[in-house]
Amino acid sequence: MAQLISLMIDDKPVKVPEGTLIVNAAKKVGIDIPVFCYHPKMEPVGMCRMCLVEIGRPQIDRETRKPVLDEQGNPVIQFGPKLETACTTPVSEGMVVMGMSDKVKKGRQDILEFLLTSHPLDCPICDKGGECPLQNLTMEHGPGVSRFLYDEKMHLAKHYPLGDLILLDRERCIQCGRCVRFQDEIVGEPVIGFEQRGRSLQIETFSDPGFDSYYSGNTTDICPVGALTTTDFRFGARPWELKPVASVCSQCPVGCNITYNIRREARAGGRYVIKRVLPRQHEEVNEIWICDKARFAGYQYAESPERLTRPMLRRNGELVESSWDEALQVVAERFKAATGGLVTYAGGRLSNEDLFNLKQLTEGLKGQAILKSSIGGGVLVAQMGVAKGTDLGKLGAGDAILVIASDLQEEAPIWWLRVKQAADRGATLIVVNPRQTRLDRFATHTLRYDYGSETATVLAMINALESKKTRLPDWLAKYRPNRFQTAAAKAFAGAKNGIILFGQEGMDLPRSQELALACANLLFLTDHLGSPNNGLIGVWESANTQGAWDMGFRPSTELKEMFSSARAVYVVAADPAGDDPSLADALEQSEFVVVQELFLTSTARLADVVLPVTAQPEREGTYTTGERRVQRFFPAIPAPGGVIPDYEIAARIGERSGLKMENRAASLVFAQLAARVSDYEGLSYRSLAETHEQWPIIGRDDLYYGGTAYENTQGLGVQLMPSSQKRKIFQVNWQEPPVRVSGKGLLGVPITRLYDRGATVTPSRSLASRVPGPFILVNETTAQKLDMHNDAPVQLMLAGSAYSAMLRVDTAVPESVVLVPRSLGIPLSELQPVDIRVAETTPA
Amino acid sequence: MNLLYEKYAAEIKHILAKYPADQKRSAVMPLLYLAQQEQGYIQKQDLQMIAEILDISATDVGSIVGFYTLYHDHPGGKHRLQVCNDLPCALRGADEFLEKLCENLGVQVGETTPDGLVTIEAVMCLAGCDRAPLFQVQDAEGIRYYENQTVETALQLVEHWRSDGATPAPSPLGLRAGQEKSSTPLPDETVTGLSAEVRDETASDTAATETQETD
Repeated sequence: MAQLISLMIDDKPVKVPEGTLIVNAAKKVGIDIPVFCYHPKMEPVGMCRMCLVEIGRPQIDRETRKPVLDEQGNPVIQFGPKLETACTTPVSEGMVVMGMSDKVKKGRQDILEFLLTSHPLDCPICDKGGECPLQNLTMEHGPGVSRFLYDEKMHLAKHYPLGDLILLDRERCIQCGRCVRFQDEIVGEPVIGFEQRGRSLQIETFSDPGFDSYYSGNTTDICPVGALTTTDFRFGARPWELKPVASVCSQCPVGCNITYNIRREARAGGRYVIKRVLPRQHEEVNEIWICDKARFAGYQYAESPERLTRPMLRRNGELVESSWDEALQVVAERFKAATGGLVTYAGGRLSNEDLFNLKQLTEGLKGQAILKSSIGGGVLVAQMGVAKGTDLGKLGAGDAILVIASDLQEEAPIWWLRVKQAADRGATLIVVNPRQTRLDRFATHTLRYDYGSETATVLAMINALESKKTRLPDWLAKYRPNRFQTAAAKAFAGAKNGIILFGQEGMDLPRSQELALACANLLFLTDHLGSPNNGLIGVWESANTQGAWDMGFRPSTELKEMFSSARAVYVVAADPAGDDPSLADALEQSEFVVVQELFLTSTARLADVVLPVTAQPEREGTYTTGERRVQRFFPAIPAPGGVIPDYEIAARIGERSGLKMENRAASLVFAQLAARVSDYEGLSYRSLAETHEQWPIIGRDDLYYGGTAYENTQGLGVQLMPSSQKRKIFQVNWQEPPVRVSGKGLLGVPITRLYDRGATVTPSRSLASRVPGPFILVNETTAQKLDMHNDAPVQLMLAGSAYSAMLRVDTAVPESVVLVPRSLGIPLSELQPVDIRVAETTPA
Repeated sequence: MNLLYEKYAAEIKHILAKYPADQKRSAVMPLLYLAQQEQGYIQKQDLQMIAEILDISATDVGSIVGFYTLYHDHPGGKHRLQVCNDLPCALRGADEFLEKLCENLGVQVGETTPDGLVTIEAVMCLAGCDRAPLFQVQDAEGIRYYENQTVETALQLVEHWRSDGATPAPSPLGLRAGQEKSSTPLPDETVTGLSAEVRDETASDTAATETQETD
């Protein structure tokens, strides 16, 4: 704990840790020192001069080194001749800060007069108007009139596209550099910068493509003027018309806290619509940042005209609309008749309440509850996951993070950001991947392996450990560590805290289960279990995959057999037929298929009954993040007439099948869930809604300080205790991974890309230009061997079928490997031999 | 495919060797100068190629081009005549000098004479405030300073170029300087700060190039 320093700010006594900047010390006691360039998440630069204050320091006697006292015995305070910047000056003992003196007021007036010399007076049409720091601070501290000549105002570009999603208004920019520093310091991708100097200074990008970063939207939150706007919200609404509704992003397992801004609109028939997505502060989850997928894809699907709104039944081979009563009756009768032959296949985008009810229904009918997931290890994460109290933002020097089999920025951008920042703070970052990823640049140790030998790499690292808590199995000896693996293993073992994130790169179910087990053993042997900031994190493919594991859903490698032999298949929030044509064939063979969905997916097209559901922004529920934090989301907009939440559909089918189930409210389902699922014991919607004050203080009236991210007033959620935290003794299991023979030729590898063709991403207008068509990646040598060039249209031969794709050359891909992004039209789900052919140029 | 590297491999290696391997981004200025010699200005693809060589972003490279008057992001005349009109120079008549010079040449600030001979530019501090009006000339022969100038001497210089050296060149130290400071006409005094460094470097780079070529 740093030493506490006492000082006076505007006659208020303040005690803060050594090193605190004056601007933050003032904020802690509710005193506003206006800033533009300073941001509490970034290093101070003192560029805008808005924070000028008078600073006095006690006069020190040079001989005695003690403060000089006046006649009354008070220390004599010596003020500097000039105003000083409160954002760059740390506090010191006995300091006296005057932020309200006439000299300071004059200073602020002058700075604002300068800033406004060429700032346009277009507040009435500016998106920032109403939540603009420059507007607010001018009203509060400005001079009211300007001595500068209006005719000499500079006229600059008003709609300069920095990238596909972000536009710059060059007249409005006040050159505070927050956006430039955010991209450089926080993200580490300096794709926007300052160009020219003096009065010609402006923001520019020379990168190709331009401002193309998964975090670009955050710059519009922290921009203190209306210079940066998103293509999504630009000219969309005035801030004061918007109401905030708390939610949680449904796109990935990080569980970023977000706020939907809604308003009533004539073009929506007077209904509430979502106008934009902003971050909601949660310092232990996403701080005040969200990725562009959350911002631009997180809600637009709900407004899609393609949404299903009526139940449908297959009659004479055609899907026709029916009433809910009829549809539910048919489903209940067939499910009941299936006795033991029911397979419920659910996706991780469902809430805990949905999954709990689906599990109750399936169990009640003696069916099987199957999770849609190509990665395993969820049970291990429940046992050996990160302990309650974990905060990636607290990891730094002395701690270690190991990321394996994951292109983390593509799979979970905000975790990538938090891991990168932990490395910036001095944490040992070990990145273990078959190819170079964007995280490598920040890694202390970078280990490579051949696709398929990820588990072998971890086992080799285990072998490299010196202190062995338990007798290792004999077969382990054959995994000999090389010197890089040994160095990384020792660094991880020696760290105070250690976290492992395992991901989706080249993973299928059996492989990832083996990998998760090996990682869990590494954590066990290095004592990185059971206490905060230690444990295992699964980088799952969906927002609530962890919740699905916790509710008792398990993935299966036998899907085809299960579907084809099932007497009834109940597909919820998943599209197996769209993912894999062979699953479509299997579903065709099953007796009865029910699909519960937002859209008419490929699976829905072949279903016997289709049940339409409410979208996540239209209802309430909870998600469990990959760090096993249970968080609530709230209804933001009304659902279209005729749709019902998933948990309620499941309950109504259950009731008609003779089961007693809760259908009235998500909170009541959660109460049942908390009573039955032991890890969730004691939780309630009320406990999940509890908050405490977070630092930095943001989202109140002082928008100039933290930006437009919202304060969290609706709940921080509760992190669950893994069983390793409840009882410290843990049994370690060993399982020898089977030897797999890899074939010759090209190896197809499934990877994850952030912008894919997932059901909730495709309808996004903003991201339409960013979501690619099907493509595959090979390196230069492979391309040369194939005699193909970058951007060539090709056909990927996979298990006897041909898929059209664009060939892209990427130097990071290992030789003879073909990377195939998931959810982009090519159904590759495991390491598999593939072939590439020239696309036929003229279709017959 | 890095065309810049392919063409100037030896020079680039020579430049990179001057900086520690983990701080090679420091080589960005000499590399920009090298790239600029190709066309007399820096093209967008040069930024990308330099960024690749130094492992930094193209935007980082681009921001340097705009910051220094040494670099140009668009084509200009054969000679660039860059007049400083910052405050101290303006107090010594630089603004008026610039205006009259442009008037005489029939161009606006930033424009090139129709014959493509001279581009007149206003630039930031050239570190010679006490010797204003002054300008620097950038052309195929490198960078030179002309101090204590009058419109007449500047036009004389342009005429010298236009006549291909047939008319006499004016003194780079100007008339007044010649009279006032004749006792200390140190050549080193005419170049200062950053420009001096870059000039020295490019001079030695040229030397290196020549050696390479003779090899």
